[in-house]
Amino acid sequence: MLLWNTWKALKANGVMGINRRNADYVLKYNKRHLYPVVDDKILTKERAIAAGINVPELYGIIETEKDIDRFQKIVAPYRDFVVKPAQGAGGDGILVIADRFEGRYRTVSGKIISYEEIEHQISSILSGLYSLGGHRDRVLIEYRVTPDPIFKSISYEGVPDIRIIVLMGYPVMAMLRLPTRQSGGKANLHQGAIGVGVDLTTGVTLKGTWLNSKITKHPDTTNPVDGVQLPDWDGFMRLATSCYELSGLGYIGVDLVLDEEKGPLILELNARPGLNIQIANDAGLTHRCHKVEHHIAALKKEGRLETVEERMAFSQRHFGQPVPAATTPSEPSEPA
Amino acid sequence: MQSINLHLKILIAILVSLGLLITGYQIYVLEIPLKEDETDDIWSLDARFEFQATAGVPIKAQMFIPQLNQDYISLNESFISNNYGVSINQVDGNRRVTWSARRASGPQTLYYRLVLTKRYSDETAAVPPPAPRVPIVLEGPEQIAADALINPIRQHSADIETFITEAIRRVNDITDDNVQLLLGGQTSPLDKARVIDILLSQARIPLELVHTVRLEATANQEPELWLRSHNGERWLYFHPETGQQGIPENRMVWWIGDNPMYSLEGGRQGRVNVTINNSEMNALRLAKMSTDNGSSALLEYSLYGLPLHAQQVYRVMIMIPVGVLVILVLRNLIGIQTLGTFTPVLISLAFRETQVGWGIALFTLITALGLSLRSYLEHLKLQMLPRLSIVLTFVVIVIAAISLFSHKLGIERALSVSLFPMVILTMTIERLSINWEERGGGHSFKVAVGTIIAATLAHLLMSVPVLAYFFFTFPAILLVLVGFMLAMGRYRGYRLTELMRFKALTKQG
Repeated sequence: MLLWNTWKALKANGVMGINRRNADYVLKYNKRHLYPVVDDKILTKERAIAAGINVPELYGIIETEKDIDRFQKIVAPYRDFVVKPAQGAGGDGILVIADRFEGRYRTVSGKIISYEEIEHQISSILSGLYSLGGHRDRVLIEYRVTPDPIFKSISYEGVPDIRIIVLMGYPVMAMLRLPTRQSGGKANLHQGAIGVGVDLTTGVTLKGTWLNSKITKHPDTTNPVDGVQLPDWDGFMRLATSCYELSGLGYIGVDLVLDEEKGPLILELNARPGLNIQIANDAGLTHRCHKVEHHIAALKKEGRLETVEERMAFSQRHFGQPVPAATTPSEPSEPA
Repeated sequence: MQSINLHLKILIAILVSLGLLITGYQIYVLEIPLKEDETDDIWSLDARFEFQATAGVPIKAQMFIPQLNQDYISLNESFISNNYGVSINQVDGNRRVTWSARRASGPQTLYYRLVLTKRYSDETAAVPPPAPRVPIVLEGPEQIAADALINPIRQHSADIETFITEAIRRVNDITDDNVQLLLGGQTSPLDKARVIDILLSQARIPLELVHTVRLEATANQEPELWLRSHNGERWLYFHPETGQQGIPENRMVWWIGDNPMYSLEGGRQGRVNVTINNSEMNALRLAKMSTDNGSSALLEYSLYGLPLHAQQVYRVMIMIPVGVLVILVLRNLIGIQTLGTFTPVLISLAFRETQVGWGIALFTLITALGLSLRSYLEHLKLQMLPRLSIVLTFVVIVIAAISLFSHKLGIERALSVSLFPMVILTMTIERLSINWEERGGGHSFKVAVGTIIAATLAHLLMSVPVLAYFFFTFPAILLVLVGFMLAMGRYRGYRLTELMRFKALTKQG
């Protein structure tokens, strides 16, 4: 009985479950043949560059064991850089070099590693250790993002990122992900990072979620996580919105970072974005998604498509906090 | 989307109803037993024919035996007789066995055995109605007595049925002078039947004498005489003394006519002893036996038609969808996390060899050892393929060592671990360790436990004998499973674990 009440309450709040996400959104809007665009970070980056969307600069690609020799040459002009598997998942296999130290390299956490260790890491990535399904992979070496100082007080090491869920080109929900001591500097909720909801209209942070429960303060810095104004919020929104054209996928999670110098950058896209964003925002995705779907159906009747700016404006108009519940019917019929 | 939903609903409806229809047909029309241990009565009828042979004279012993095309079907019929020739022939609608020998002496015993069952028989074979008959010619007083009896019977009856009942009632009234005359002082059932036959022949009503036995475990059963007549549509049975109409279900006709059960030439003191025994037999084996006898082809196109070793494989294989269904429910409805999608099913198949308790113990042990090796290998910074090969080899060594130890300790059960799929274990170790690094020890422990739970549940369900039998015998039920799986494919409700996960969202504000 208790479970049934929970069920009803969740349904009333429009909380989306995995089954619904998969059946109604991922399977419906994401064409399988487009997955490589988001699964392979090199492809994503190439598409983004072609579309004029800001991404961390690509220094070089290593495709074979033989190519590893080129590594030194690729990174020669830079003091800091990031080594990444092109098809990695969950931030694994990423090596962030912050500086050089007497012919060796220093990672962000201060560890000194030798060239041989980097070489082994690259070799592991190539052999498919970190790729989805263990396929052979490519390595990309790119610009290291320096997080904007605004996050200093509410973040522990690492780079906080912003996840925006975009349905058919309409941002529906956003979350700021803050690394903690527990997550080891990674912005991954599964590993213990904090998710903080973001008001789509203003870019002001809301309360957060940590390990599936609601929180208001960062556990390491004890500073409140809510009420922080993210700079250049419209820039974030614009980038995320245009990712629909970039990828062709209808339901994606866009991961962005705020670089000290270059502003908002797209890190990667995710074709199966997680659902914890709902806890961070204390709101369900289903109602918002239905609103977008109705809007699209209405537009279709009129026979027109909206531009990036129009779509952004629609989301910012409707998905600020609090979402007016009265305008969203509890279970609207599916648009055809 | 709506058209897809409609499409899906129709597809589900078709599959489910097709599956149910085929299964229903098998159960209700073909009467395939629902349970493997369902049994049926089988009856064995033993007739022992004993006599004293007269020395120096050829012997010819004849005995009526039951027709085979009755309500019952015969599974086996045998004649046991030393040094006697056996032949069977049809005589006036009866089957008769003839034992013959050139010479014999002393007491002789001949056996006849018929094994039959009620099940799986086709509809009663139609016995052609007898031809219209001519009155039996009587002489003088007998004709008068017969006429005197027939007239009141005719007045008190409306049709064949009532005529016969009335005739039987009157003939059994032995105080009646006319009846006494016709019986000639004899009052055995056979004589009464003879008189009844005379009376009915005057009215041109056909009548047959049938000698029946009761299918009940009895020793030394005396065949009972019944009368039967045909009303143009079906046979009507009457008891010649009580007038009771309708033959009890468990009586079966042994022979027809007024001849005695046996006849004997070249012997004396003949005696036939009928013993009926009842035993139970597995209904399915019975069905197969009766198929072999060619009376029905109901199992011809089932999996039972396969060679035996192929059947063994299919018995396991046909249960795999059930295991997959368990995983489906656990993952999509409950929300338990497992390692990969079908790894639990493969592990549960491995449990078949080892049994659950041992299976879990061995799985845990080997996986734990493998994980520690894997974490050691991590320091050596090996590439994936060599690393996997090392883990696989290690798993083989561990399995061999376990088998050796358990054998020395006298625990034969663990020997079966050699069949525990090594590749599955290796992949489990590899994926668990990657999971460990990516998501931490707690998560991979959760996944491992989820996998074991799922595998155990799948195994337990897959090895329920009743279910295994059911799916093997009624494979069409798999279509119903597919229907359910299709429905699950569009299930959009919450998973049970999500109710906990999103609990924080139920409180407003």
